[in-house]
Amino acid sequence: MTAVPGETATAGGATADGAATVRDATAVEDTAAVEDTTAVRDATAADGATDVMDDAPATAAEPAEHAVLGQPMDAREDPRLLRGEATYVADIDLPGTAHMAILGSPVAHAKLLSIDTKAAEQMPGVLKVATAADFTDVMPLPCIWIPGGVESHFPPHPYGLPGARPVLTGDAVRHVGDPIAVVVAETPRQAAAALAAISVEYEPLPVVTRADAALAEGAPQLHEAVPGNLNAYWTCGDKDRTDAAIAGAEVTVELDLVNQRTINSPIEPRGAVGDYDATTGEYTLYATTQGPHNHRFLLSALVLGIPFNKLRVIAPTVGGSFGTKGYLYPDMALVLLLSKALGRPVKWVDTRTGLMNSTVQGRDHRQHVTLAGTRDGRITAVRCTSYANLGAYPSTIGPGVATALMGRSITGMYAVDAAFCEVYAAFTNTVSLGAQRGSGRAEAAFLMERLVDRYAGEIGMDPAEVRRRNLVPKEEFPYDNGLGWTYDSGNYLPNFDRAIELSGYAGMPARKAEARTRGKRLGVGIATYVAICGVGPSTRMSKEGMLGGTWESANIRVHPTGEVAVTVGSASTGQSHHTVFAMVAADELGIDPSQVQVYEGDTLKAPYGQGTYGSRSYSMAAPAVALTARKIKAKLVRAGAVFLGVPEDKVVYRGGAVHEDGNPANTKTFSELAMAMWYGWGLPPEIEPALDETTHFDPPDFNYPFGTHVAVVEVDELTGETEVVAYTAVDDAGNIGNPKIVDGQIEGSIVHGLGQALMEAAEYDENGVLISSDLNHYALPRAADVPFFALDRTVTPSPHNPLGAKGAGEIATVPPAAAVVNAVVDALSDLGVRHIDMPLTPEKVWRRLQGETQ
Amino acid sequence: MDLNLNLNVNGRPERFAAQPNELLVERLRDGLGLTGTKVGCDTGQCGTCVVRLDGRSVKSCLILTAAAAGSEVTTIEGVSERGGELTGLQEALRQEHGTQCGFCTPGMVMALGELVETSAGGEAPTEPEIREWLTGNLCRCTGYHSVVRGVQRACAPAAEAGVPGREG
Repeated sequence: MTAVPGETATAGGATADGAATVRDATAVEDTAAVEDTTAVRDATAADGATDVMDDAPATAAEPAEHAVLGQPMDAREDPRLLRGEATYVADIDLPGTAHMAILGSPVAHAKLLSIDTKAAEQMPGVLKVATAADFTDVMPLPCIWIPGGVESHFPPHPYGLPGARPVLTGDAVRHVGDPIAVVVAETPRQAAAALAAISVEYEPLPVVTRADAALAEGAPQLHEAVPGNLNAYWTCGDKDRTDAAIAGAEVTVELDLVNQRTINSPIEPRGAVGDYDATTGEYTLYATTQGPHNHRFLLSALVLGIPFNKLRVIAPTVGGSFGTKGYLYPDMALVLLLSKALGRPVKWVDTRTGLMNSTVQGRDHRQHVTLAGTRDGRITAVRCTSYANLGAYPSTIGPGVATALMGRSITGMYAVDAAFCEVYAAFTNTVSLGAQRGSGRAEAAFLMERLVDRYAGEIGMDPAEVRRRNLVPKEEFPYDNGLGWTYDSGNYLPNFDRAIELSGYAGMPARKAEARTRGKRLGVGIATYVAICGVGPSTRMSKEGMLGGTWESANIRVHPTGEVAVTVGSASTGQSHHTVFAMVAADELGIDPSQVQVYEGDTLKAPYGQGTYGSRSYSMAAPAVALTARKIKAKLVRAGAVFLGVPEDKVVYRGGAVHEDGNPANTKTFSELAMAMWYGWGLPPEIEPALDETTHFDPPDFNYPFGTHVAVVEVDELTGETEVVAYTAVDDAGNIGNPKIVDGQIEGSIVHGLGQALMEAAEYDENGVLISSDLNHYALPRAADVPFFALDRTVTPSPHNPLGAKGAGEIATVPPAAAVVNAVVDALSDLGVRHIDMPLTPEKVWRRLQGETQ
Repeated sequence: MDLNLNLNVNGRPERFAAQPNELLVERLRDGLGLTGTKVGCDTGQCGTCVVRLDGRSVKSCLILTAAAAGSEVTTIEGVSERGGELTGLQEALRQEHGTQCGFCTPGMVMALGELVETSAGGEAPTEPEIREWLTGNLCRCTGYHSVVRGVQRACAPAAEAGVPGREG
């Protein structure tokens, strides 16, 4: 199979039977799988991008050789990780370190009447106890994503946002875990023990934990400055047109959905080490951060009031994040302030329970959604009213996650004439809301894909057929979805058909019948998605309410020996940046990846960048690397003219060398050029010596990966237990850099999404206490909970960056929840079941099997 | 009152004074500086702290140092030399990219090491057996697939080196 440029190519282990796995060597189509893999490599090669790239802006790809990109290279990070040698924040042990513990509120809502720290100060090993009174000159933590736009905030200055979180609360507590005081002691145990000796007097206040309840008349008020608890009322789309379409529709279906609150739970808890140098007046922060530059920017001037030049932020190895470690937390400021106060490094490492009561949580929408269509399967309108729970304080970008990231995506891969989304984003007595892998986009896909199945059931049409009829046609791209996003490129039908075929969809009736003989109800669920990625075009994001640039950068420095240093502004939380960025630079420069070393994660050394979030490293930072490499090449062509003694238009750069066109014998290798540029002898004045270039990449627009997933489940009739027996995922992330790494991210993402569907829930009781505050009470998927998946991909390059790349890391978390719920509802549809709220625990499903309503 | 204890850690005798309520993971990380063993939860659920105690993989956050006294403890640092060659299991996990952020990885290597060793020379564990063995170790990045494939690769008889499925 040969890929056609611009056409969809597929790859992976195709099996006719969705229940089989792609890794099954006995699969009948294994030979085809090998051929297909080749196809992807062809498609990611030079000509793969041409069709779309013809109309692309100035950043468009020039033909490249792609000796490296697209190949499944082993991650160079892995040996160190496998030997346990990587240094995470908890492993940092600076001389003289003191240890900080945080007193979090045990109650969800109360006035603070008094705090007595005297007894704690006398406890063994205690060096300092601090409360809000110690930090009156410290600003609250800024929220930098304000739904509705930032025009009124220029120049950007996010001080004094209503409801912003102080580093320690002094007037009232607003959620369990709200930080009230800190202890610094000689050992972590001493610090923790002293917390118990702090005496706090609370005057209890009424508690509200649901967004819709928080907006009701007479609800408890969280912030004086926010009457009615409403942070934002946000809309997108055309309300009148949508209402009219729904009013006049042949068919309408409605659902009330709870997209439950979830906890990301990276396996490494958060941590921070502050180190103040009294000699230089400089602060160093080691932190679990996915955006060290961003944290430096926000913390230095905006929170601490210290010069930008005096703060260095270092992200060591970070143990997973999934969005949560991009946010500003009080502890980051506290370790710095206390290090200065004590003249010693101060270290804080969270516990799991602490993490669950302090680190941003995800999802949490209550929605009323409506879909209108024709009897013959044409979707005409979609409307969503959502109550989003922001928690007690606006997190760094939480309000944007709950509004634009969700609302502008709701129509997904479908061409819908009229759509409208409104979000009421409210404060409640819960942990602040933030990103959760696939944030916003997963919530959007869930509501749309549930609606499509409901609609299919209503008109008696196969859910796959309804979807096929409504996919945005290829010729419509770039496609304005009417909700604020313009999809860059897409070729949805082949992607959709591939997933349906690979899943063995046609054979499902027979499999259902067979399952019934074993006491199982088999169900199949489809979910498609479009995930906005590649945040972003900075100006566009400012319109979206983002207070800050969202570009990305890279520096390439060529050493005199011909070795290459690539330094990027983003910082990995497990995405194998050191491998992938080396591949990008090597590919562009025509050298071996082993010649390239990658650096990141230290603001002292790295060029500015905004960080790793929203699946943007490969579609934002990698293009910056590629464009920088092209600057190096361009300079080498100019210098090559001097070294080769020929006019510049006779110099070609190919295979890691410059050549005289038509005279291959007249050549200089990359290493020779590197040394010559280091010496700088004989260069004309217009060519500077050395090779050191930087690029700041701000794309013309976002990119929009997409895909189709199919879940096959078996529900046990006796126990209500749901088992995912087969899962097919066909994702399109444009051109892929390293399929091995992307596949790993896809697999992990799917499991994350299955977790939300089947077991994960942040449960608050009526007093606002998080019941699921440790891993005994918050279920995460384990190895035995999932089968191998059938993975495949299509390739539709993005025109918005020189690699034709789209976001990949989290995109496969977007559809699984919808696919699984659709599958379980399918399995139970003959009982009249039309919807079940997540998570689909055995008890909940069993009750429906018994005929109980939700 | 501190207890005078001894442990044999990675083949080296260690003598120290410890409080009776000290956890083994604290001794290893804070007392002996063996930070390859991680702490990921407070409740024995995540498995990042797994070490081998007299050959058996155990969660070192659930064992008092005093209870381990006199035992042979192997941590991730005792599995392969710093910067050195990988074991067969580690190499197989590397080839399958069985690690992403790496925080759960040392615990998995320690837990799976016992499975691979006990399977050596006999029948390779089945996929369900590997998954069952792994249920004590949480991973949020990989979804476990590459880890399971890594174990399959590590346990495959030499003649069948390589694991089914696509290379990409």
